[in-house]
Amino acid sequence: MRLFEAAHVFKHDWETVSLANWRKYPNEQTPHVRHVEILNQDVDPATGVLRTERLIMVRQNVPLLVRKIFGGDTSYVLEYSEVDPQKRTLVMQSQNMTYSNLLSVGEYITYTPDPENPKHTLFTQSAQLKASGALCRFANKIEDICWNRFQDNAHIGKLGLEQVVTKILAERQALMMSMTQTASG
Amino acid sequence: MESIDKKCTPLKREYDECFNKWYSEKFLDGKDTPSCTLVFQTYQKCLRQALKDQGLTKMIDDARPAIGSVFTDNDNQ
Repeated sequence: MRLFEAAHVFKHDWETVSLANWRKYPNEQTPHVRHVEILNQDVDPATGVLRTERLIMVRQNVPLLVRKIFGGDTSYVLEYSEVDPQKRTLVMQSQNMTYSNLLSVGEYITYTPDPENPKHTLFTQSAQLKASGALCRFANKIEDICWNRFQDNAHIGKLGLEQVVTKILAERQALMMSMTQTASG
Repeated sequence: MESIDKKCTPLKREYDECFNKWYSEKFLDGKDTPSCTLVFQTYQKCLRQALKDQGLTKMIDDARPAIGSVFTDNDNQ
């Protein structure tokens, strides 16, 4: 089993970063994320929490050993998330569905205001990768390869989110400028 | 970004646009009354059929407990 943990501070407010999460795909940094579908989405009337279920399809080049053992390079992931706008929290949990009999990848992500600076957003990510015993002598190697790939994807995922945040801020700037021009014209 | 079924792509994009607007202008401001219901239902009808055609429905339902999803197969039907 491999464990992965990371934390990062986005120097933007939680509202902007949580919106960027919804607008994250597609982005240049993460071409491996091919499809993102909303399977279910509602607001819990008792708590005001936005609940979302998403189907994510990923396809990327994988080493030959992985391709041979798994029989492909495409996988589906199921993600469930909750956004609490009062508490300013976004919590996401996901699990691979494809190849789950060979490899289990579970991920847990949170976005909350940074305790050191509430105008910034703290991102935490933890994941567990476990290869099935059925892989026998390949189990360790497969875990190694997939853990390395997970790290790489986690890194570009953060870059992708930053890019989307930049785009959102640029849109807001453009909107404010056009409103200023309209007001003074 | 295309939908898993090209037929659903324009419906998905319409919903994504509606949702992003609602999320940033209403939901984050404490006004959580849904305003994309019709658009969502149209997108979902197409998506459900695509999931069925591609044999993904059972796989999704089986994975729900692992991620603590509150939803079931019967939601949005």
